[in-house]
Amino acid sequence: MGYGNWDHSAYRAAKAYRTRRGIDDFGYTAELRDQPYDTWKVHPDLDPFGVTARECRDSAEHGNSLPIAVLFDVTGSMGRVPVIMQSKLGKLHDLLKNKGYADDPQILFGGIGDADVDRAPLQVGQFESDNRMDEQLRTILLEGGGGGQKSESYELAAYFMAEHVVTDAWDKRGKKGYLFLIGDELNKPRLAARHIRGVIGDHVRTDISVESIYRDLAQRWQVHYILPNQSSYYHDPEIAEHWNRLLGQNFLRLDDPAAVCELIALTIGSAEDRVDVHTGLADLRDIGSAAEAEVVGRALHALEPKALPGGSAH
Amino acid sequence: MAISSAPIGRHLIVVDLGFGDAGKGATVDWLCSPEANLGVAAVVRFNGGAQAAHTVVAGGRQHTFAQFGSGTFSGVPTLLSEHVLVEPMALAAEADRLAEQGVTDPLSLLAVDGRALLTTPFHIAANRAREDARGVGRHGSCGMGIGETASYALHYDAPRVSDCREPEALRSKLRALARHCRPLLERSGHTCEPIEVLVDMYREFGRAVRVTGPGEPARLARRGRLVFEGAQGVLLDEWRGFHPHTTWSTVEPRNARAMLAGIGAAGSVLGVTRTYTTRHGAGPFPTEDPGLRLPEPHNGSGRYQGDFRRGHLDAVLLRYAIAVCGGVDGIVVNHLDVAGRTRVATAYTTPRGIRHTLVPGPWRNLEYQSELTSTLTTAAPVLTDLPTDPLPWFERFLGVPVVLTGSGPDRSARRPRGSFEQVTGPSPAPAPPAPDRVAGGGKLEENSI
Repeated sequence: MGYGNWDHSAYRAAKAYRTRRGIDDFGYTAELRDQPYDTWKVHPDLDPFGVTARECRDSAEHGNSLPIAVLFDVTGSMGRVPVIMQSKLGKLHDLLKNKGYADDPQILFGGIGDADVDRAPLQVGQFESDNRMDEQLRTILLEGGGGGQKSESYELAAYFMAEHVVTDAWDKRGKKGYLFLIGDELNKPRLAARHIRGVIGDHVRTDISVESIYRDLAQRWQVHYILPNQSSYYHDPEIAEHWNRLLGQNFLRLDDPAAVCELIALTIGSAEDRVDVHTGLADLRDIGSAAEAEVVGRALHALEPKALPGGSAH
Repeated sequence: MAISSAPIGRHLIVVDLGFGDAGKGATVDWLCSPEANLGVAAVVRFNGGAQAAHTVVAGGRQHTFAQFGSGTFSGVPTLLSEHVLVEPMALAAEADRLAEQGVTDPLSLLAVDGRALLTTPFHIAANRAREDARGVGRHGSCGMGIGETASYALHYDAPRVSDCREPEALRSKLRALARHCRPLLERSGHTCEPIEVLVDMYREFGRAVRVTGPGEPARLARRGRLVFEGAQGVLLDEWRGFHPHTTWSTVEPRNARAMLAGIGAAGSVLGVTRTYTTRHGAGPFPTEDPGLRLPEPHNGSGRYQGDFRRGHLDAVLLRYAIAVCGGVDGIVVNHLDVAGRTRVATAYTTPRGIRHTLVPGPWRNLEYQSELTSTLTTAAPVLTDLPTDPLPWFERFLGVPVVLTGSGPDRSARRPRGSFEQVTGPSPAPAPPAPDRVAGGGKLEENSI
């Protein structure tokens, strides 16, 4: 049993008080909005340049840490997703903890832009298990740039996650973490060495193929791509084909971006064998996410008609 | 400017003469309303905490006030005094609900005394763990940590509102509290959020809400009349209630009177009652009658309190309540609409004979209070009919004028009686609109310093 069932969690209360003080949910972005665009830069806490490794470690209180990384496209069309994540973060954490979908989840947030044109093409926070997660989100710069060429630097984010993240889950238990990429475009055609040098600081001389970086990533991460119904690309077959080829069934379409936290929670819960999809959907309805349950059910193909006994589908 | 020339009426202290739920919220809402035009500058809460549940229905709006004062719908600010137990998480939730009811920026109407104790998730979890362990012997707690907050503060350096601005001090107090609660919570199934999460939230609370000091009541009183809103009922008072079925709070008007004395002022006490008796939670209830089917739209069963209990009016308890208040100046009678359907007990038959009165014992003598509890447990009420118009009966039997009546849940169902102004003093005239009143008061204060 968690704290209270009629009142706010501490997380929600803190947010309510911040709102009262007029502090934007994305305070860092709000701060930069008043500055000239060419001075915008990634907040130092989230800057991947020169970072040896982001770590997800066990602690005395949390001995079975489960790494969860959520990196979303922060270009213009995707702006709503981080805002939704912000508003539903408490729910995501509650579901994971209170419904027992994961024991000691530690969540890292990051932002993905376009390394060819953006001021903040990659932002990566730390793994956190408490409301410092919320602080990380508030520090993400919603640059809102990109656009035009139907590609973002997802492959650069994938490289960082493959090469610059250390987890006790893997090192001690050989257990993969969960990585969710949320976006609506393609990878760049190749992972450019100059992007790695410029954004992350590694001395890499040759470009790397997108396929090989996702293969590396899959060694230690269960990688999902979520395509929320946000833009015209939602029905673009090229996007679906591209991500299907890279990730297979871990490419998920989401009718309504408002359900993104619920989708993540349920995906983890069922992959961890803590809940089957139908029970999980019932859990979502229990916590007042009935509409989200519907959407998540469709994203996970749980609501498709089953074949009837005798073989005739209806 | 009207304020400096018009005499301010007497400050008002509103207490419940029963076990709670008699209609303090509706009373305070009316006193603060434009309809009453009493020039109320602020509602001051002087006991209890987030467990208060004061239902107000006013023109299509409805809210059950817990920490916000019941004058909020009329834009009257609230002071949570040093005697209140403040629970910031519940407060944030209540502010959200008030905003949904159309109150603009509810938190701007709030000031909190820095000396007030904080009720934390540790207190709440400990309260629930203890009450669970009592099983059928439950005290009828609300499960909201009030007793834990008060009892912990008797023995330890407890977290207070002012600590929200001192994260280091708060952190170490919370750690000590967590250590204290750990043995109780370990196997209880009740958990708390991590201390860092709480520290962050309390810091935001300390920044978002006006934290005040001892000078606040005097500052508010210069702007107009104060209404002291009591929580719960005086029959639950920690020293005057029927031990152990009491609350850890001084419910009778002692603390409100002391605050007024502190600013060189006095006030009138309004005692609120229904035309029958109710009790939410365990404890003696001589006139209880489960057969009474009276409508109760706003009080359900609580997990920790159990069912809402109903009974006939109990004149013995009413007189005892008035006595332990040190007398009251006026009576507010609610639920007149069900008068005629209930009876009244004017005495009890007990194994030792007939009793017409319960005499208050020495203050803070819990042994004496326990004896009263056993007397009440064995008492059988002597019931007579309550007249369909019970108001003359109330006045004759209690010797106190009925000053205000309620015959339904809505604000529009409240009527002042002829004796009202004698008890409350004059209303300001002409009535300035609320925002001017605040601005004018502020200027007055600056000039007077």
